Order: sequence, then C-alpha cells, then structure tokens
Amino acid sequence: MRPEQAERGRKIWTVVVLVLLYLPIVSIILASLANTRYLRFPHSSWTLEPYRQALGLDQTYDLQMTSLKIAVSVALFSVIIAVPGALAFARYDWTGRKLYQRLLLLPVFFPQSVLGLAALVTLSALGVNLSWKTAVFTHAVWIVPIVTLIVSIRVYGLDRAQEEAAFDLGASRLQAFFRITLPQILPGLSSGALFAFLLSWSNMPLSAYTTGVDTTLPEWLYSRMATNYAPMVPAVSVLSIIASIIFVLVWQAGRVAVTRMAAKIAGRDLD
Amino acid sequence: MMTREQRTGLALMLPPALLLVAGFLLPLLFVVYTSFMPPRTFGLASPPTLENYVTAVRESYWRPFAWSIFFATATTIATGLISWPIAKALVRSSRRFAVTVSVLIAVPVFIAESVRLFGAHLFLMPRGGILAGTIQYLLGLNIGSVLFTPVATLLGLFYIYLPFALFPMVLGLSLVPRDQLEAAQDLGASPWQQVRYIELPVASPGIIIGSLLVFVLALGATTEAHILGGQSAVPVVHAIEQRFNYAQDWPLGSALATVLCVITAALVFPLISRLNIDRLFSR
Repeated sequence: MRPEQAERGRKIWTVVVLVLLYLPIVSIILASLANTRYLRFPHSSWTLEPYRQALGLDQTYDLQMTSLKIAVSVALFSVIIAVPGALAFARYDWTGRKLYQRLLLLPVFFPQSVLGLAALVTLSALGVNLSWKTAVFTHAVWIVPIVTLIVSIRVYGLDRAQEEAAFDLGASRLQAFFRITLPQILPGLSSGALFAFLLSWSNMPLSAYTTGVDTTLPEWLYSRMATNYAPMVPAVSVLSIIASIIFVLVWQAGRVAVTRMAAKIAGRDLD
Repeated sequence: MMTREQRTGLALMLPPALLLVAGFLLPLLFVVYTSFMPPRTFGLASPPTLENYVTAVRESYWRPFAWSIFFATATTIATGLISWPIAKALVRSSRRFAVTVSVLIAVPVFIAESVRLFGAHLFLMPRGGILAGTIQYLLGLNIGSVLFTPVATLLGLFYIYLPFALFPMVLGLSLVPRDQLEAAQDLGASPWQQVRYIELPVASPGIIIGSLLVFVLALGATTEAHILGGQSAVPVVHAIEQRFNYAQDWPLGSALATVLCVITAALVFPLISRLNIDRLFSR
C-alpha cells in the first residue's frame, strides 16, 4: 500500500467512526419527534409536540435549576481551589510536590460510582443530610483535580521574569499575583470553569448517591428512561444538550468580550 | 528553617489537598471500615469481622468481577485499535482537519453518559428502533437486535471510552519526529517496522496512560450494562449498587467495593509513580 493510500484509508476510517459516534445523538433527536407512547420508527407522524410538553412541565424547570445550582457552585468552587492548587502543582518547587501531584491524579483514575457510594457511606455515618449541597462537594472531589490540571498547563507556561520584574519594582506579593500572574493564567481558569460546569451538568454517577431529596436533570432522565418512556424523555434530553451548547457559546462570547476590554484597558495604561 | 518557596508551596497545596483528604481518602477509609462490619448492619460501632469477604467468595461474587475484567480488557484493546488510525490521521493531516475532528469527538464527552447510552439504546432497539425500523422500512427486512446482550454492553463501552484512549494517544504520537520516519522510509523500513521501532516506543507514554484510564474507568462502569446490556451480564459496580440499594447490605457492598479499589490501586499506583508529571503537562 502506498503512503497516500494509507493516509486516505485513515481519513475514511476517521469519518466512519465519527458518524458512528453521532448515531446515538441523532437517534435521540429522531425519537423526540413523535407522539406515540412507544418508539415505532419511522414515525407515522412527525411532531414537535414532545418539546411543547417538555417546556410546559414545571418539573423540568426545577430539574434544570437544581442541575444549574450544582454546576455553577462546582465551577466557582473548583476555580477558587484550583488557582492555589495549580501554583503548588507547577510553579513552586517544594518537598512533597511529587506526592501531591500524584494524589491529585487519583480521583481521575477512579470509578465515579464507587466515589459516589463512598461519599454516601461517609456522609450518612457523619449524620449529614443529603441535598444538592452534598452533591456539590462530591462533584468537586472529582472535578477540582481536573480543573487544577487544566490550570497547571497554563502555569507551566508562566513567564517568571515578569513576576520577578514586578518584585524588583517594589510590588507586593498580592499585587504581583493580581497584576501579573492572574492575567497570565486567566485563559486556563476560563477553560477550567467551563469544563467544571459541563462535567457537573452532565454528571450522573456522583449525583445518584449524593443529591438526597433533590434531583438533577441526568438523574431524572435516567429513571424515566428505565421505567416510564415517553417521547418527552428524549425531548428533555435534547433540550438539556441545547442548554449546554448555549452555555458554551455565551461563555465563549463573554470571553472574547472580556479579552477585548482587557486589551483596551491595557492599551490605555500604556498611553 | 523552611525556605520561602517551601512555605509558599505548602500553603498553596492545602486547599485541594484538604478537599481530597476529606472527600476522597476519608470516604475510602469509611468504605474499607464498613466492609468489616457485620452483614446488614448500619453504623460503625460493631466489632470488626471478615464475614463479608467470606460471603463474597462463597456466593460466587467472582462472577461480576470476571465480567468487569473481561469488559475492561476488551474495551482497552478495542478502543486502542480503533484509535490508532484516527490518531495517526490527526497527527499527520492539516491543522483544520485535526481541530475539526478533535472538537467533534470531544463534544459528546460533555453530554451526560446516560443520555448518550439511551440514544444508543433507541438506535439498537428491536423492531421500532431507529436502526431496525429504518431497515424494515427501506428493505423490508426484519433484523434481530444485540440489545440486552453483553455485545451491546461492549458497544456502549467502546462508544463512551473511545475519546479517553484517543486523546492521550494523539499526544504521544505527536512526539514522533517526522524526519525520523522519513529517514526510516528512505532506508527501506516497512510500514510495520516504522510502527514497531519508531512510533510505538515514542508514543508509548500516551498509549499507556490512555489504556490505563480506559481500563480503570471501564472496570468501574455500570451505566452501559444498565441501559444496553440489561441483566445479561452484571458488572461488578452493578453488583455493588444492588447490595447498597435493594439488599440494604452496606457491609457486603463495601467489601466488594474494597476489592475493586485494591485492583484499581494495584494497576494505577505503579504507573502514576513512574510518570514524569512535569514533562507531561508542560508544553
């Protein structure tokens, strides 16, 4: 086989796998466009009725709010903890850093359901009432390490000379952090927050054991899929996917706007 | 006396380290301790016993472990083989192709696993399912379905964990020097020799990390079996969940979870301790 042929073969393979990867998502969308009790594809009549039902249901609003509360809290909390975490991970040279770096990787290499169950065992042994707040904590145990790794990649690329120059010019440590270090790692924080939000928004295994009286969107979808199917269930799934797409777009737009504004302010400083 | 750098590092690591001690290590200790409590008790006050581990062996709980190890092994091999040509295509093609494909593969990772697997369920359903219905409509053929068999569980696992094998592999392969491959070609190395003596050794850290990630996550996976495999093959986390939810036997569930943690740790620790983390993340 000639190299060009091999190259073409690999590209075709890539496209085939991509198509296969999207079949389930396409299937959900197709299934949401009928109003029959059971899925009988191709539908005898195509309709957007399930979406009207889904949007009219007060419960889906509550579910979205619970998921949103958890995801926003997790994103905020993760970013706040990941900033010092990433500096300790990548910026400073201290004894024990190697051990710390490894400890931080462990939750990523760990089955989430077991983590959720372990949290359940512990929280109930300590007599803590389960609610969306305990879910925030458990999500954070898994998500903070991931955000810390994302921010660390940025911290490794820090230009240390700038920080040192600031010190030489008499900046305090806090000033140097807020004027020099933080702006440089800001893109990492932005992606970290976005990752944290999306991972929490779509999480099921951790929520399943730790939300107690509250129910998140993925939890509700999961139980309805298993026991009480209706075309509204895929419709709610599609809406939740659309919600996260909108969130990503808004976030990216905001990021561009903030970068422009920061550039303008920086330009004025120089003048 | 500690240096300034030392003190700063220690202070900065405290927030995440405390979170992990309180939210990860402590809960695992609770699980291990619960596994030594008498069967079907709640609370941690009773004298420790090994009874749950005896029960686990006697009631042939090795079966779910065997299924999970089989699922994880098959998933690691399959996702590795599926990823290899894709990773090579991504590394060698134009930037635009690489970015587009990477984004398209990464996006579904942020859609709930259960939702995506439910989509796979709807696709594979017999008769009125998306696949079977379409074939029935177009060709008039009535095809069977793999739904509720271990094959469906496997397909779900391949689907969910492919990105975790692919992206580390791409990172590994991107380290292969282009001119080294060309030199090998000029000197008459066969495609297989190029893979064996250049690409595999250079890309191996990425491949090993990806494989380990896939293996460990697939070992602890349960949603795929729930939604696609039905009761045809019960993986270990499903068995653990049943002990916790339906049987209300937390000690036995904890014993099974402890065994799973030991297996996971035995795989993860040797690799993580050898990893050069600074080199891995600084680029």
